[in-house]
Amino acid sequence: MNIDYSLFFRAMQPESLLIEAALAIIILDLTVMRRKDLSARLNVASLVGALAVALAAVLALRNGAMGEILNGVLNLDTLAVATRVGVLGLTLLVLGIGTGGARIRNPAEYVVIVLCAAVGFMLMASAQQLLLVFLALELASLSLYVLAGFDKSRPESAEAGLKYFLFGGMAAAFLLFGFSLLYGLTGTLDLPGMSVVMAATGFHPMLAVAMVMILVGFGYKAAAAPFHLWAPDAYQGAPAPAAAFIASASKLAGFVLFTRLLWGSASQGQMLGATPGWVPVVWLLAGASMLVGNLAALAQSNVRRLLAYSAIAHAGALLLGVIASGRSGPGPLFFYLTTYGIATAGAFGVFHVLENQGGAQKLKDLAGLHRRSPLLAGCLMVFILSLAGVPPLSGFFGKFAVFAAALSPAGLGSPTGWLAVFAIAMSAVGLYYYLLILKEALVRPAAAGATAVKVPAAAALTLVAAAGLTLIFGMFPSLLLRWF
Amino acid sequence: MNAGLSEYLVLSGLLFALGFFGVLLRKNTLVIYMCLELMLVASTLALVAFSRFNGALDGHVFVFFILTVAAAEVAVGLAIIVALFRKRQTVMVDELNHLKN
Repeated sequence: MNIDYSLFFRAMQPESLLIEAALAIIILDLTVMRRKDLSARLNVASLVGALAVALAAVLALRNGAMGEILNGVLNLDTLAVATRVGVLGLTLLVLGIGTGGARIRNPAEYVVIVLCAAVGFMLMASAQQLLLVFLALELASLSLYVLAGFDKSRPESAEAGLKYFLFGGMAAAFLLFGFSLLYGLTGTLDLPGMSVVMAATGFHPMLAVAMVMILVGFGYKAAAAPFHLWAPDAYQGAPAPAAAFIASASKLAGFVLFTRLLWGSASQGQMLGATPGWVPVVWLLAGASMLVGNLAALAQSNVRRLLAYSAIAHAGALLLGVIASGRSGPGPLFFYLTTYGIATAGAFGVFHVLENQGGAQKLKDLAGLHRRSPLLAGCLMVFILSLAGVPPLSGFFGKFAVFAAALSPAGLGSPTGWLAVFAIAMSAVGLYYYLLILKEALVRPAAAGATAVKVPAAAALTLVAAAGLTLIFGMFPSLLLRWF
Repeated sequence: MNAGLSEYLVLSGLLFALGFFGVLLRKNTLVIYMCLELMLVASTLALVAFSRFNGALDGHVFVFFILTVAAAEVAVGLAIIVALFRKRQTVMVDELNHLKN
């Protein structure tokens, strides 16, 4: 077989650029920046990293949808290109909010690992072969475990890293066992070839086992109930930029990969989605996540744990989007994922700035934010209202698009339609705890002795840009949706 | 007696179940971690068996990559466990309960 390597190298330009930038950052940090102080090293490393990420996004956009690469090992269709650019944008956001905090002891390594994780996410978006799927997933996951435990000065960070690592490792083992059964059943590792064999042979009991294994694995990775137990601890203990990365870019890449495994891509037949019985399982996971996430969030007094439970609830809505995207295409799901990622990473960015100024993570520490920093309070309001799904912010349109896609085939005649109705009811519950955050930040007077919050320039710029994007995508959703 | 595909699969399933229950039941992080590796090894055994009986090589290649990834996972996992031990002087999961509401 002939392999067109020049095509392959061109398709991999964004990924290679990120790896080269990572090496350059390490070299720069060990030579020129060696004697500088920590915050200068962090700023230089973040700047180089951000430039590389921006350039990679330009390259990914310029290359566009190149189709199948390396005999179909990679498939760069529009969804892959959109996910790549989305992941790069969220990486930029995470790098931006991470600056200005001097708590990280190895700033260059931190940026390098963020870039490695981004490469993993980008490969997840385009992988069409189980081996590459596994490698991309592990590259991303291992980087995220390190990021979660990165702050060596706080025991909570190590604990978060360990819990995330143990649950993530178990998820990887489940996925791998499912993959090996799929390989045994079909005799091939390529997803398109697999769907052909599966369509020809029909149902086999072992396929159901493989299916369950893969669903359990993805359930853990996506923090869907009842596999969500690691999420609150990881979100609470990890450094805020790492938590933002776990909550945004990893969700985006993971759900896109999951959708591909289930539904294949537009050019090929259905993958596991053709298997009877998986829709009810995903349906149950989605329902349980929305119920557990929203109800448990009501009882939280720690903002990070609150966001973690809200992330579980959003994972439920996203699973509903996965079910719906079999019929309506991945557009609504992608829109939801991107806008949710921007809003949640932005909220973590606000918390990061506050924590760097000596604040703790309690809900009541947000009190008087509108006086202490009107900018942060305004950004937080946009992010939280978007998460709650209030129009005209993009979170509303994301929810609207996903629920409409779930309801449109059969209305209330199908279980999926009823799940969408349940999701709408649960959004109303969600509104309550989101407003609790805003009540503290916007209404409650500041505690005695609270001082004004100084926002680092890069973080301020990033947060304003994220808030702007949340507004713009909400008012002009076709900016994202016209890709599909 | 020659072992067939099903024997290998039963063995791999048993190893996987052993690892899974070890993860659920044991309290020592290091032992939990060993059980995680056992689950990975179970998958590699299944892959090799399938590859052998399908008469194709891609399963074997897959296993090479899994072993490499598992080695990287050891590096990350042990580093996290050591970092935690330095702060807490314990590796037991029962005592890792500082993250709560």
